[in-house]
Amino acid sequence: MKFLKYPLLAAAALMALTSCSGSDSTSDDPSSSTDTEATMKAIATQYLSSTVIPTYSNLADNAEELVEALKKVKANPTDANLQAACEVFLEARAWWEKSEAFLFGPANDFGIDPHIDTWPLDVDGLKSELNNASHIASMEADDADEWAGNKLGPELLGFHGIEYIIFADGQPKSVSSIPANELTYAIAVAGDLRNKCYQLEISWAGADNVAEERAEKIEDLEWPCTVSGSGVSYSENMLNAGQAGSSYRSWTDAMQGIVDGCIDIADEVGLQKIGKPHTGEDVNYIESPYSHKSITDFYDNMVSIYNAYMGGIDGKRNESLSLHAYMKSKDSDLDARCVTAINTAMSKISTMAAPFVLNYRDSSAADAMTACSNLVDVLTEVKQALAK
Amino acid sequence: MKRILYIIPAAALILAGCSDSDPKSDTPDSGEEELSEEWYTGGKLGTTFNASASAYEDPTPAVEQMGLVDRFKYGEYFFERTYNQSTKPFNGLGPLYIRSSCIACHPGYGHGKRMERYRAGDWGNGYLLVVTDNTDTYISTLTGMPQTKAVAPFKAPIDEEQITISWLPYVDEWGNTFPDGETYSLIYPEVKIPKEAYYVPLQINGVDVPYENVVVRLESTIGIYGTGLLDAIDDADLKAQYALEEQYGARINPSIFAGGEWVKTYSTTGHPLRFTYALTRGPLQDAAGANAIWNITNVTRSDRRYHYMTEVYAQTAAADPEVQAQFYSYFPDWNITGDPATDIYNYLMNKELPAEMTDEDYVDFMVWHRGLAVPAARDLDNEDVQRGKTLFTEIGCATCHRPSWTTGDDVFTDPNGFFADGDSRLPRYPHQKIWPYTDLVQHRLEMKNDIRTGWCRTTPLWGRGLSQICAGHSDRLHDCRARNVIEAIMWHGASTSDARQSVENFRQLSKADRDAVVKFIDAI
Repeated sequence: MKFLKYPLLAAAALMALTSCSGSDSTSDDPSSSTDTEATMKAIATQYLSSTVIPTYSNLADNAEELVEALKKVKANPTDANLQAACEVFLEARAWWEKSEAFLFGPANDFGIDPHIDTWPLDVDGLKSELNNASHIASMEADDADEWAGNKLGPELLGFHGIEYIIFADGQPKSVSSIPANELTYAIAVAGDLRNKCYQLEISWAGADNVAEERAEKIEDLEWPCTVSGSGVSYSENMLNAGQAGSSYRSWTDAMQGIVDGCIDIADEVGLQKIGKPHTGEDVNYIESPYSHKSITDFYDNMVSIYNAYMGGIDGKRNESLSLHAYMKSKDSDLDARCVTAINTAMSKISTMAAPFVLNYRDSSAADAMTACSNLVDVLTEVKQALAK
Repeated sequence: MKRILYIIPAAALILAGCSDSDPKSDTPDSGEEELSEEWYTGGKLGTTFNASASAYEDPTPAVEQMGLVDRFKYGEYFFERTYNQSTKPFNGLGPLYIRSSCIACHPGYGHGKRMERYRAGDWGNGYLLVVTDNTDTYISTLTGMPQTKAVAPFKAPIDEEQITISWLPYVDEWGNTFPDGETYSLIYPEVKIPKEAYYVPLQINGVDVPYENVVVRLESTIGIYGTGLLDAIDDADLKAQYALEEQYGARINPSIFAGGEWVKTYSTTGHPLRFTYALTRGPLQDAAGANAIWNITNVTRSDRRYHYMTEVYAQTAAADPEVQAQFYSYFPDWNITGDPATDIYNYLMNKELPAEMTDEDYVDFMVWHRGLAVPAARDLDNEDVQRGKTLFTEIGCATCHRPSWTTGDDVFTDPNGFFADGDSRLPRYPHQKIWPYTDLVQHRLEMKNDIRTGWCRTTPLWGRGLSQICAGHSDRLHDCRARNVIEAIMWHGASTSDARQSVENFRQLSKADRDAVVKFIDAI
């Protein structure tokens, strides 16, 4: 990237207009700070209620179903049951990837991201666990989910451990090739994954706004689910922006935080998830190698950005209460470039040669990297424009 | 993670715009001058204008100018990702380890979090166990940073499930009350490790230490950002700071500096000690991070082809029938003599193990380490913050929390010899005015259950106000006993503390003024 030097004059003049008026809301400037703050609060409200919370709620639903689907495989090991479990797994996986534009907050503060999405899987460590009779017994007990979360490290937990058990070479395994102790492990790890998804949902939505049994589960586990144990949910914290006690010093900070979440994942997909295997020609850096779903993961990450910027997930979107609408009113050219950059990244990723694990050297990967890099640059401009 | 952002702080612009002259008369090319240098906490080459959750994670402008952004981000992987035993690229964990990833100890790249229990796998647990006898001498059968994790069939030197941390209330001589009646609460940790939890005998250089003489303390990680800038401070300037403090009669750790001269430097290099609370490390290229990527995980590399482990541990494991019974099934390649005791010992104490981390990955890691930016100051134009700044100096905080330094030529060095002096593969920060708020000298706060030896390097304050949003907590001090800034300040107030006078002064301030000091500390 370039060494960007923003001409201060334009910005300073703008700031002088909007901010030197202090609390005087009768300022000549049409976009007085009060109006802007109200708009930003409405955007944050929509972002929380129609992007963040439903994404985590869907994730928690699917993670819950995954546990049941895996238990069904164990009780009745048919290929049809395994196929069903694989489908639920991919649904859950998709919602997780669609959450990666908001890894700030509980996913970061409580270490949930590494806990459920560490790769590569420790294949040798897993073999040791599967050969450890007392551990397998613990994974068969009623509190197997809790045991797994406490005793297995992140290198054995989360999506990729389950993926390894039920997928091979991009397809669901034949159920007869999966030993019972592997299913025991997968169920225990899925239970822990489900609990972590509950924690994510509750931390944003607040314990009073989720299914009672989910709140009870997290309470039983004594897991934190508020900002620094304050009792304030992550949504409330954002909606209190600018007030004492909120970690957002201003509404501008809150909006920039949303954009930063988008920048972080766009950057990671381009430079690391695609870039490291492509440029380093090192297959070891490929995530989701067993299900061959890396490209789906990358695409869903872009969907996450789209939802954050455009005002909600499919079915809940309201573009009039989005960063997109706000930027359009402030700088329609920048907004148009941002929307184009998101769409281009989605399209370049969806046309990458698949599966990534076999095609990471393909030039289509370089095109996707460029699209992600452009998206980072435009989002960076958006972040800067929000301060004006 | 992440990208580079040069967002000009809105507040600075307001300040500029609201100054006496008409903002419209400003000219574009005069823009840069409008930001006072104090906003650039890490100097022009080391500051990121980012106050979001990723504020501690950005590369410096120097990284970008040198075209090292990709390398920085590849290096970041090795900080963020979890190591495992044998699946590349994050392979090599164990046989003993303290944590399986760096970020586990540095949540959000920041200071560790106060914990109710010691478990290596608990997120944000940045504690290292410090196990000594009652004369502050390390138990030498344990590594200085003792491991509580092991891969099969090995057993950890300390069984972490038997460790307890109790947080006890502390009442200071003022009854935890300011003269105006406002109160605060103080807690401190008491750590117990039962005798049965130790796998190795408790000895110092072959001599048994009675269990009742064993003392356990906690030391937490601090944030990593800006360490490259601290490394860029010239040795001579650091020496001048010591000399100045000595001249003014400050207590100086006699084992480090006396009579205007260094008593001890880093190894045999002559370079001063500047990193870690205990000042155990000198130049950054062979300091805490370069060491930790090896000894926290026990991932070997070309210049560290051996395990971080004591010989007594190796002897204990080699003689353990349970380990002997399983060793060959887990480590078939090490069945060399057919005698498990011999092979276990030779494996654990081997000095020519294969390198698990490649040199290229290690270089990237050090680009990242040396390349982390400091978040710019915030709200410096705020009246309360300005009042706080004045008071911070007036009541004496700035004596040890020295506000600024100017870096030297930054022809950095690597005592370990992996990098050449001023190696062009790593970012440099010559002649930058930086604002870390530390004198880099050790002082004594004389706290209850104090840090080992009582001597603790003044911790940099830069960026700490963003801890809540970046790391998810606001815990402070070496064992995270302070849950907010007020508690941290009041732990400086023991009757024999080097900071006693400042705390007495702080107590006499009005509530509004105390809050202003806190607000200033949160702004820098």
